[in-house]
Amino acid sequence: MAELQELTQVIIKGNRAEAKRLTQAAIDAQVPARQVLDALVAGMDEVGRRFQRNEVFVPEMLIASRAMKEAMALLEPMLVKAGIKPEYIAVIGAVQGDLHDIGKNLVAMMWRGANFQVVDLGTNVPAEKFIAAVKEHRAQVVGLSSLLTTTMPAMQAKVKAIKDAGLGSLKVVVGGAPITQDFAKEIGADGFSPDAAGAVDLVRKLLAA
Amino acid sequence: MTTQGSLTGRERVNRMFARQDQDRIPRHESFWPETITRWQEEGLSGEQSDVLDLLESDFGQVTWMWPSPFRGQGRTIQQDASTRVVRDEHGKLARYWKNKSGTPEHLGFDCDSREKWEQVYKPALLNTGLQVDVHAAKRAFRRARELGQWAYVAGVESFEQTRTMMGDEITLMGMMEYPEWIRDVSVTCTDVMLRNLDAIVAEGVHFDGLWTYGDMAYNHATMCSPATYRELIWPDHKRLAMWAHAHNMKFIYHTDGDINGVMDLYVEAGFDCIQPLEAKANMDIRTLCPKYGQQLAMFGNCNVMKYATNDRAVIEEEIRAKLEAGKKTRGYAYHSDHSVPPQVSWETYQFIIDLVKRYGKY
Repeated sequence: MAELQELTQVIIKGNRAEAKRLTQAAIDAQVPARQVLDALVAGMDEVGRRFQRNEVFVPEMLIASRAMKEAMALLEPMLVKAGIKPEYIAVIGAVQGDLHDIGKNLVAMMWRGANFQVVDLGTNVPAEKFIAAVKEHRAQVVGLSSLLTTTMPAMQAKVKAIKDAGLGSLKVVVGGAPITQDFAKEIGADGFSPDAAGAVDLVRKLLAA
Repeated sequence: MTTQGSLTGRERVNRMFARQDQDRIPRHESFWPETITRWQEEGLSGEQSDVLDLLESDFGQVTWMWPSPFRGQGRTIQQDASTRVVRDEHGKLARYWKNKSGTPEHLGFDCDSREKWEQVYKPALLNTGLQVDVHAAKRAFRRARELGQWAYVAGVESFEQTRTMMGDEITLMGMMEYPEWIRDVSVTCTDVMLRNLDAIVAEGVHFDGLWTYGDMAYNHATMCSPATYRELIWPDHKRLAMWAHAHNMKFIYHTDGDINGVMDLYVEAGFDCIQPLEAKANMDIRTLCPKYGQQLAMFGNCNVMKYATNDRAVIEEEIRAKLEAGKKTRGYAYHSDHSVPPQVSWETYQFIIDLVKRYGKY
């Protein structure tokens, strides 16, 4: 449908006004909510791909995320009515000792853009709080972020505590400036993403397996 | 005046910038406060300045400049056992650790609209008097001269100032939606900085270099595209470099992150030196020096993540390889690629000092 393709494009361009207009038009035209959602998510997926190729940068990602968020606010009642649930439920936070949040916020935005339900615990989050949130929301994945090398030991401790909490098939993913694939493997995390866009594909791969 | 070998620190750094022969590479370092605390527990007798003396640092800071719209008006809003929420001099609401360093949690930014910028923040910035203690700067400059150090004024440039007042999200989205606003903020912040620099020079403090701090990148890329940087911020970076050159000074730019995409713009703007060249953000002087080493002095790139292993073989290879690459251009100064973290033991850092001295000779 041409209008849905246009909706995907305006998400990519971060045009919030058009994203809302076209979403409302689709709702009014009784386009199935799933199709509208897929068009929105396709836009964010393309933003993610372009971000990883350095064709777009953080500003473009932010305005696309905002357009997505505002469109989703219109679509959400239709999704609920149609029984369409978020693809996954994720908990995210910056580890205890770390007050930095821009990276975590970008991941949360990209996860929401992919139709994940995201429970953002903020910064300086102790292990107990991660565990409690996973249990409360029945999350399938928890994301831990760390900006500073000084908080890397804390991340290791958190991953261990979460893994030891008996939370079933919960996946633990990590990221942040000092974090590497090797470090993630060393501390027992299930996955690592070097950037916010990659965090979406990472979760999809881990949870589809 | 202290000298090591045949040159003073100032002579050595000036010769580095001129790509002339030196006895050894210049040296400097930065540390997290917790690192110094750990080292004091492990036997360091003294403070950070004493560690820099052991390293035989060639650099002396004259003053630090971070212009703010509400100078002296920061206040604590609330606090608990470990953190403090502060409305600071930039209007930002942030939570800080009480007893350790680290990036603060940004809770809110009051400068959140063009109207507020134009009606409150811009007038406040422009009408705040001098933001440097010129007399303290004179004293520090005299001391640097006595010690034979390369004297620099350090300050925060307009991109970092903008983010400090407005936050990352407002700044970065503003670049897309209201570029003329962001441009105006950058121009104003730079005007204020230049006004303060002129005041320092007017007092006879003819320092050697302007070392500006901004963090315009992270481990994947620059925060904004090179084209956006060129349009909105770069002209003011160029103005700072031009001001330095007009006063017979050099221009050092500090940024963390992956700046490979904008190195050509730094050359075009006339930057003289890039620091600290973060290794975990894809910065590597083994590839940068052959390409840019004649136009840009490289200052750093020794990987603190390797220092944090405390593995002597790993650390020695890192320092040997990086210093070998840097020395080929004669335009390299030693610094780690960030700040030395507290995972590094005092024993390890003393070993690092020995390695830098050994491999840093010409």
